[in-house]
Amino acid sequence: MRILLENFTKKFGDLTIIDGMDLEVHDGEMIALLGGSGCGKSTTLFAICGIHKVNGGRIFFGDHDVTNVTTQERNVGVVFQSFALYPHMTVENNIGFPLKLRKESTGDIKRKVGEIAEMVHIEALLQRRPGELSGGQQQRVALARALVRRPDVLLLDEPLANLDATLRLEMRSEIRRIQHETGITAVLVTHDQTEAMSMCDRIAIMDAGKIVQITEPKDMYDNPVSDFVAGFLGSPPIAFLSGKIEDGHFIEPSTKTKIPLDHEMAKSNNGRTVSIGIRPEYFQPNNGTAVSGKVSFIESQGRETLYNVMLPDGKILRSIQGEGSVAKIGDTVEWGINAPKILVFDEDGKRI
Amino acid sequence: MVNTTIESTTDQVVKARIGRSTGPQLNWLQKIGNSKYLGLYLLAPAGIFVLLFFVIPVLLTGVFGFTNMSTATGITGGAYLANQSSMQALGDRHDMAALAEQINQVVYTIDETGLTTAREAGISAATLMELRAKFLGQSFDNRRDAERAIKKLNNRPANTRALKVLVKYFERSVINTRYDSKAEILAAIDGFGVSLTPEQQAAIIDVTYTGWVFSTNNFKRMISLPDTKKTLINTLFFVFTTLILFNVGFALVLAVSTHYMDAGPAGFFRSVWLLPRITPPVLYVLMWKWLAWDTGFISIILGPFGVEPKNWLLDSPTNAWTFIILINGMVGASMGMLIFSSAIKAIPSSLFYASEVDGATRAQQIRHIILPQLRFPILFITCYQTLSLLTSFEYFLLATEGGPGGSTEVWALSTYFKALNNYAGALEYGYGAALALVLVVVGVVLSILYLKLFDFKTLTAAPKIE
Repeated sequence: MRILLENFTKKFGDLTIIDGMDLEVHDGEMIALLGGSGCGKSTTLFAICGIHKVNGGRIFFGDHDVTNVTTQERNVGVVFQSFALYPHMTVENNIGFPLKLRKESTGDIKRKVGEIAEMVHIEALLQRRPGELSGGQQQRVALARALVRRPDVLLLDEPLANLDATLRLEMRSEIRRIQHETGITAVLVTHDQTEAMSMCDRIAIMDAGKIVQITEPKDMYDNPVSDFVAGFLGSPPIAFLSGKIEDGHFIEPSTKTKIPLDHEMAKSNNGRTVSIGIRPEYFQPNNGTAVSGKVSFIESQGRETLYNVMLPDGKILRSIQGEGSVAKIGDTVEWGINAPKILVFDEDGKRI
Repeated sequence: MVNTTIESTTDQVVKARIGRSTGPQLNWLQKIGNSKYLGLYLLAPAGIFVLLFFVIPVLLTGVFGFTNMSTATGITGGAYLANQSSMQALGDRHDMAALAEQINQVVYTIDETGLTTAREAGISAATLMELRAKFLGQSFDNRRDAERAIKKLNNRPANTRALKVLVKYFERSVINTRYDSKAEILAAIDGFGVSLTPEQQAAIIDVTYTGWVFSTNNFKRMISLPDTKKTLINTLFFVFTTLILFNVGFALVLAVSTHYMDAGPAGFFRSVWLLPRITPPVLYVLMWKWLAWDTGFISIILGPFGVEPKNWLLDSPTNAWTFIILINGMVGASMGMLIFSSAIKAIPSSLFYASEVDGATRAQQIRHIILPQLRFPILFITCYQTLSLLTSFEYFLLATEGGPGGSTEVWALSTYFKALNNYAGALEYGYGAALALVLVVVGVVLSILYLKLFDFKTLTAAPKIE
């Protein structure tokens, strides 16, 4: 079911957290609210499920205005960061709790709990208590409880934050599989760009209570609207250099290297001070415009190795390379920038 | 080669460890600080107080419960005293009425002791000389016989008054004399001219001893007295009514209702309910008394409606109980309220959010989330308050003193009256201790019962995480 936020505003006392946000989540879509802590992403999620009352604007599920509908009647499924399982109930009772509150018959509850447990692969754990489960198992129970009564929307608040690295990878694909199987509209709140990019159809990236950009993951990576978005996505992160545009080129101030830019863009912005963003994969040996600098840091990530290359003025360029690279710390290298892939931003950080 | 290296390394480590003990000399404080018994040292002061004010009193209560100690027997040893009542007992308990009759008599014996005493008292030597010559060793069964014999002397006393004084020196009796040991009383009876068989000796010792002895009579008496049953029923009624209505019930209502309030008013209401607890009990009860007196608040308020002023507190057993339970409950509820409130605060807010999302109303939240999470605090408060209500009697003492007519006398109060303070001043330490011992046993039994009832093991079960 479609979710629509119209001019949504949320205040805590005098503090306005979110001011007039608009957001539409299409039916059956999974969208990520991505942003750092304090950006208002969880607040938005809590407003959608009704735990926080809104201070302005409207919320629609489908065509139904739910702005003043209580949480209890909103029919949303929520997976909390801490899972929020009821510690005194067995797994079976935890999952069946929403149905029990609706006064469904014991037989129905048992059948539905069984079905959903099978879907999230926890059939064998139904008689345990949450304290007797591992983090991943608790996560599956929380998911089952959120889904068991067929909610209109599924809301996930940092669902993977409390899991260890391997489990996180496993649950990432599991949640996506279950979302596909049920076809439910889902909102994922996360601060982890990998999670957002790998799990969701679209990402809404948020900063200071505003949605900065909303688009598909690949598109957001390739065409960020601002340096904030460009910096948020990608690991290792993008490197920025600032300098002037002169005669169709970006002049790197310390080495005076001329980096060619898009002809039309450079022409219309001639003489302007800009910053350019270069992703690590576009700064490689034998690759376009060469820039020389000293290797200041090397981090082996197994399959790949990350190099930091320091320019004379202390600015850092990052390069990620596969096997075969032999540069050592202190080596002076001359690697090339893939000029067509450069992202150019103006003084305010806006993409040019 | 590799092995040798490892061994030599271990060797060095050992040497290093030994080396440490020959290091700088530690002072006594550092030695205690490093000792593995540090915990015990730190506990020692508390241990001494626990021993002095808890363990020893409880053990002594256990011991005293099996004695007949009272103001009459004293708490140290006693003396041996043949008197009217002990001679009665000799007849009743040992079937030796004849012997009792013998001992109970007063005889007049002319002996050296009497003559010496009389001489020292200034009786004329001539009289005493003649008395000695004629009657030494003779006994008279009563005063008249003795007087008649003395009157016949040539050197008889000048008048009847002097005669009576003289006779007094030869009066011999074991009745109403305190003897410090068994040997003394037996010797006295023997000297009195009654020879005793070993059996009779034992019986005499038994009935004349005035100190306390060990016995189980306290418990027999407790069971046979109708007052005991009434006190027991009063106690159970008081403890469970106060506990269920106030100490747990009302405390839960307060904790849950303040949980759903804003922080400001919630804090205010909690503070208000704490006030009775921080009011000095004497003043607190005094205010209740003012409320209930015939010139008090209730009477004044009800006066215009044609209700006769009266002492509402002691007017009838029902009223007395109502006040007693209110007085105790208003104080008792605050502790449960504090414990329950903090336990509710400890429930993660995400659980409340989750239950709201799951469709739970407030009532359902209380029923399915709050109460189950409060199982342990409720167990704690129930146990703790049962024991404290069982043993508390200060509010009874201050408010009703067990009245009217003993209708609010509970076990602890009755124990206090019996053992430590009563109108007649006849304090029965032994019986009181026996009553207190029953309280101890009941408390322990109830605690075990509660733990079973609340399924303590699953509350504290170790998690089985895979």
